[in-house]
Amino acid sequence: MADLSNLTGLVSEPSGEIDSSVSSASNRSLRLAEKEKRKAKADPFGLAVKYLSQVEAGTVVRGNDELERNLVVVETVALSKGLPPEVITVLLDMALSLNAGTVNCTRVLKFLIPATVVPQEAIVKGVSWLCVGKMPMNAQVLFVRWVLTVFDLIDCKDNLRSIYGFIFSFVTEENLCPFICHLLYLLTMREHVHPYRVRKLLDIQAKMGRQPFLTQLLALYKVFRPDLVTLSLPSRARTGFKNHSSTWKVALSAVQKKNKSAVSVDQSLTLDVKEKPSSRKRKLHHLAIPSLSSAFDSNSSKKVFRLQELQSFKELLENIHHIELPAQMGSLLGSALALHYLDCVQDESAFLRLNFWLGHSLQEEFLLCPVDGSSDNTSEACRFLSTVLFSQQFLQEGFSSTESFLYKFLRVWDGSLLRPQILDLLSDIPLMPSFYVHKLLFEPLKQLYFTSTVFFKCSVIECLNSMLVKWLTWHSVSASDGGLDISLNSNSTMTMTLSGFMDSVMELVHFVGLLASEGLRLENCHILLLNQSLAFYETVCDMFVKYSLPLIIMPPAGVFYPALFATDSISVDRLGYIMYRYRKNLTLAKKQEQQREKTPHISRNTYNEFNRNLQAMVNSMWNSWWCIPGSDLEIDKELIALSKVAEPWCRFDLIHHPALFSYAIEFHQRCWPERKDVDLGSIKTGKYWNWYMEFLFNQGFDGLKNFIQTNTGTAPH
Amino acid sequence: MEGRGSAVNTPATSRPVTRRSKSYGRSCVEAPSYFWQTPGHLTVLKIPTSREAAKSQIITNKVDPEHIALLVKNEWKLSYVTPLYRFRHTELKSYSKHLSAFIIAERQQGVAVEVGLEAGFKVTFTSVLGLAETSEDAETVFIQIQSKPVFAAAADAPKVVWRGWLTCVNGDPEYLRALPPDFVSLPLFCTSGPESLTTLVKSWFERAFDCNFGSLALNSTTLNWLAALWTGCHPTCNIRYLKLAWSLPSQPPLDVSYTVNPQDAWELWNSIHPEESTDGRIDIKEVQSFMNGLETHFFRHFKIYLSAGKLVKVSTALGSAQLDGKIKIGNSDYITTLLTMLTECALLKMLT
Repeated sequence: MADLSNLTGLVSEPSGEIDSSVSSASNRSLRLAEKEKRKAKADPFGLAVKYLSQVEAGTVVRGNDELERNLVVVETVALSKGLPPEVITVLLDMALSLNAGTVNCTRVLKFLIPATVVPQEAIVKGVSWLCVGKMPMNAQVLFVRWVLTVFDLIDCKDNLRSIYGFIFSFVTEENLCPFICHLLYLLTMREHVHPYRVRKLLDIQAKMGRQPFLTQLLALYKVFRPDLVTLSLPSRARTGFKNHSSTWKVALSAVQKKNKSAVSVDQSLTLDVKEKPSSRKRKLHHLAIPSLSSAFDSNSSKKVFRLQELQSFKELLENIHHIELPAQMGSLLGSALALHYLDCVQDESAFLRLNFWLGHSLQEEFLLCPVDGSSDNTSEACRFLSTVLFSQQFLQEGFSSTESFLYKFLRVWDGSLLRPQILDLLSDIPLMPSFYVHKLLFEPLKQLYFTSTVFFKCSVIECLNSMLVKWLTWHSVSASDGGLDISLNSNSTMTMTLSGFMDSVMELVHFVGLLASEGLRLENCHILLLNQSLAFYETVCDMFVKYSLPLIIMPPAGVFYPALFATDSISVDRLGYIMYRYRKNLTLAKKQEQQREKTPHISRNTYNEFNRNLQAMVNSMWNSWWCIPGSDLEIDKELIALSKVAEPWCRFDLIHHPALFSYAIEFHQRCWPERKDVDLGSIKTGKYWNWYMEFLFNQGFDGLKNFIQTNTGTAPH
Repeated sequence: MEGRGSAVNTPATSRPVTRRSKSYGRSCVEAPSYFWQTPGHLTVLKIPTSREAAKSQIITNKVDPEHIALLVKNEWKLSYVTPLYRFRHTELKSYSKHLSAFIIAERQQGVAVEVGLEAGFKVTFTSVLGLAETSEDAETVFIQIQSKPVFAAAADAPKVVWRGWLTCVNGDPEYLRALPPDFVSLPLFCTSGPESLTTLVKSWFERAFDCNFGSLALNSTTLNWLAALWTGCHPTCNIRYLKLAWSLPSQPPLDVSYTVNPQDAWELWNSIHPEESTDGRIDIKEVQSFMNGLETHFFRHFKIYLSAGKLVKVSTALGSAQLDGKIKIGNSDYITTLLTMLTECALLKMLT
């Protein structure tokens, strides 16, 4: 109070501003001039505050015009611009001491709008006035409500926390109790929770019944000390505190808006307690993700941070070394922040717990199939699987319990129940030895594949494609790690040699090759299936360059030829791209072999196979002849003659190919718009051919473009 | 991009490649615990095709007779439990307090309850020492809930409203050894009392020890085994009767109750499995032919193929067991045989 003389300087703008502040900026110079003038005079606001700070106990209030006038000055400033911290301290002290009477106490509290922050000491002092016990009840309530409203603006809360016991003592006041509980809720730290406080609150609960404010505070106590108190919240319990800030809300937000203060106040002081799922009439809850809670026997002496308390990623980083795992590991899947933490957990038991829970849930729901009819509820199962999927994708790794569940489930799956989720989960299956892949995954999948619709077939190929990408990514990551065993726990790692890994990949690629070629045959080269298969080979053809895996596998004839002779241009273009990438991969492999003079790790056969395919493609599309010497694909000329197709060897060149035919026609029309009879052969002559190539490439056939350019030597290398 | 020589990173020779470091739990194909994860044919836990004949042992020499008396009286409903995390037999007192507080809190939703305050319910955890057979078996835990009615006179003794116990007898040693020390496996949970309390106890366990419960129904094979094993005991301990119940899928459903004279049953069994002959092990084939014998006999009289139906209940003076997972223990001297079998069922069900 000694430095009240400074107050004038601290008030950022003199009080006369009120009216002019609304005026437009145009008369700025006028205002400046006025300001100068006013500064010369004494500052009325500063004087008023000074007057109010000197109000002594026993001052006559009724008819005290001077007091009234000064109050009005301060009130006007407060409501328009808010009060600086020092003034808050002074006024709060003046009001709560009741020096200016009870009426003025509530009046001052009502216009105590902070401009920036509220000094902690003001509140501490206020609480001490509360302890004096002179204030009437309505003033007490008003004060606590005011503290709640400005709580987020209090500059620092440590001293407030150290008088926790004093604040706690007011819970016995029936009228104050709801607000005190809220304040305590905001202040409580672990060290504040003691058995005697718990007992006190329980006594009050016994008297007042289940009041939301008590429940809320006790629930917080339970978070900190589950060994002292237990509580179960009904699923539709009213939670949170009522909004106590209505008195100041409008004024405060107006002032804050005007000041554009960096400190923001949370206007809705209600807690957002996560809403529990609505109570269902299900008997079995194995598909519910448990809520975060701590074990009751958690070590209470150690400094721990509980996941329930976690609000932000920053908090996670700050407390990462003393975070306590929840009582039920499954609850981690319910929170995105907790998943971040799960990613750093190294404790083997923790994952075992998670897997026990997950395995049990999946088994009870999908394998043991409860007979109470609850399994009809697929939306719930869908939600559950989606959560699991989300977690797995977040962690970029499948849980071993989902993996083993899938092996069992595949044997009983009808291929339609929750198909998208199940297939997504399948694609997360980690790498494993080829023997097991075959037995556990491919056998059952094959049966489903060949007995299902073409759309299911497409989904399966897509799923296996994404599985392959994940395996390859894993390999490239672990290979660039220098292949070190970075696992902390040796018995939780499966070691696999590179050749073992290649065997598994080979098994997968061959399996998809089989599925794709047989599927295409069965489904009459269905265009979607063809495209899914080609998408798979887009992954396969780049394994060497993109993923550093010395393994190149060519597509089987059952995929290659349907794509080559496809009636849609997209498939042909994709095939062109695939062949182009194969060439890149093989060239690189060869170069490395020559440089290092090592035994070739790509088999001769692969080169031969590639060359044969390349020859077939170039011959049919470019050279218009079919005969592939040494190829296993020989077509009897007489047989073709029976079809009575004229010039059969031209039918799949770049002009007559069914996929490109329409482009040739269009090109022809553009070149010779006046011609009535179409002679596509004329495209082949002279400059028209080059123009036609350019025309084709401009249609977006980048795959074909790359293919043709690299294989006809026109490509810039 | 292509210039980045891949072979620099990837030697062609077979270098060990490890699965990613944090495999969440264990892989299904690695040694220590693959029976937990894998389908039947890879499982270490195989359904046994032969077992030892039931042997009588005076269990009261090992276990407190008072404890045994608790187990023998009631009909028990069976469940299986996944391993309990950080369950300690030394903390039973504190568990008693917490469980009773939990029950009270759950009963009056929204009202907080102080832990350790005795009001309404009294929960007692006791370990039943001596029931475990191997060093891997965890000791059995018995839980009793007593209720004190609000308006009861002070002198009124609290009434036992619920009983339950967790046990493991001759659990698969390889499985038990593979569990990290933080876990205690007591896979078989027997309860007797109102379903609502059972649910509360289960959910308390689930929250406290991160475990999960599932109901344990027995299968016909288990019942067949019990019928044969119990019949085999007749010379040493009078089984008094062999009662079998079948349910036949006819329209309307037909329930058959079939009571066999114990001496006749034993003679049939003895003709299949001569008492003095073998090393004391019984093969599943012998059990099957025993049941076939009984069924054939029934057909001869009533022209009903019992094999078309389902065996739903077996009972003798030694005990009874039902398909839906309810058992009764009649004679404590054969308790080990029964519990060994049920522990095995619980583990198998858990690992399916």
